[in-house]
Amino acid sequence: MSRVIRLENIHKSFGKLEVLHGIDLEVKEGEKVVIIGPSGSGKSTLIRCINLLEKPEQGAVYVDQVNLLSNTQQLSRVRQSMGMVFQQFNLYPHMTVLENLMLAPMKLKKESGEEAEKTALVYLERVGLQDKAHSYPAQLSGGQQQRVAIARALTMKPKIMLFDEPTSALDPEMIQEVLDVMVALADEGITMVVVTHEMGFARRVADRVVFMADGKIIEENAPEEFFTHPQHERARQFLSKIERAV
Amino acid sequence: MPGPFAAFKWEALLSDWNVFAEGFGMTIAVSVLALLLALVLGIAFGMMGTEKSRLFRLVNRCYVELIQNTPLVIQIFFLYNGLPYIGIQLPIFWVGMLGIGVYHGAYAAEVVRAGILSVPKGQFEAAMAQGFSYRDTMRHIILPQAKRLAYPPLTNLAVNLIKNTSVMAMIAGGDLMYHADSWASANLYYGPAYVVTGLLYIAICFPLATYAKHLESKLEVSV
Repeated sequence: MSRVIRLENIHKSFGKLEVLHGIDLEVKEGEKVVIIGPSGSGKSTLIRCINLLEKPEQGAVYVDQVNLLSNTQQLSRVRQSMGMVFQQFNLYPHMTVLENLMLAPMKLKKESGEEAEKTALVYLERVGLQDKAHSYPAQLSGGQQQRVAIARALTMKPKIMLFDEPTSALDPEMIQEVLDVMVALADEGITMVVVTHEMGFARRVADRVVFMADGKIIEENAPEEFFTHPQHERARQFLSKIERAV
Repeated sequence: MPGPFAAFKWEALLSDWNVFAEGFGMTIAVSVLALLLALVLGIAFGMMGTEKSRLFRLVNRCYVELIQNTPLVIQIFFLYNGLPYIGIQLPIFWVGMLGIGVYHGAYAAEVVRAGILSVPKGQFEAAMAQGFSYRDTMRHIILPQAKRLAYPPLTNLAVNLIKNTSVMAMIAGGDLMYHADSWASANLYYGPAYVVTGLLYIAICFPLATYAKHLESKLEVSV
């Protein structure tokens, strides 16, 4: 299987503070990679470097063999092939759910309104929200908004999905409905990179768990291995804290 | 001696109604065109004020500060008396339209800038992540949201703009204020002239101001 994402020696700073100290990461086609770690470890910054929402000062970002930092004219096209789901949903509040889903296919892929609506309804049904097509985001619960956000990303038929703490802003009773959608998506073979605190999801879905702390990747392993036999002291500390919390 | 509002003075005004109508028409024409100019300048310079590039932001600041910190009258005098020295002689209508449009454009730029900055950063990021260019992000996602917040202050701005067209009277601009003033100076019937003029301004400004209040209250409900 080919590598669809390759990060090489990524360094990223905010002002004088360096938050990523030289990260290397590869993701193969169809692979599910779950990034975990304590807050402030740089996980979100790292996933945001993959589609250049954050621009690293040093290193290289390859997606589909394209070096994004040196081929800026290809950035838009590559971004269209990567869906992203955010902690805060970021639906467009001035548009209905349906319009949220139709905007990118119509404007970026020049699909007709009819075509875009058909696709949109298919994906809305998949996340179980076809009856909300004409609602506005503010009329939906957090869990529903996040499911719409996932459907919105899918209407562009991406090869890769990036999830940046998709359940961290949700009330506990809404987390499961979003995770269910993500698990179903994972079963379809799409490439996924997920930053999350949901260890159950990581165990169930991940092909590989990446543990980050202090702006570095400390450990990468298959989920069973990682959760039962963490190799590094830092990872053991982290897991023991989580277990206590559970 | 007859009072300032003696009946024959009103009769005189009534028979000269076309003088006032002409001025009123001019005031409306200048207002509409100046408002369009102000909006175009406001959107262009307002967007510059939210750019990452320092140069754009500097251009925005220079325009806004220069215009907001000098009186409108001086700017009009500059166009009227200053430009002819470098060989540019604008018709009076253009002087009024440009001067008033550019002046209010600076205020509109601040309204637009504040509107754009009020849109959460996550909206830019969601649009960028979907693959939208900066231009399309602005057009489809950011400006429509900024617009909602900008409408009430922009409507108030339109009211001020209409009233401020009266500075054209100082350069014989042919607007409502100028005609009222020159008609009254000729026959000394100041009372009815200024009352009627004031009422005509109210006739356009009051509905607009009421509309602005309505927009504001709607905004409060939806936020």
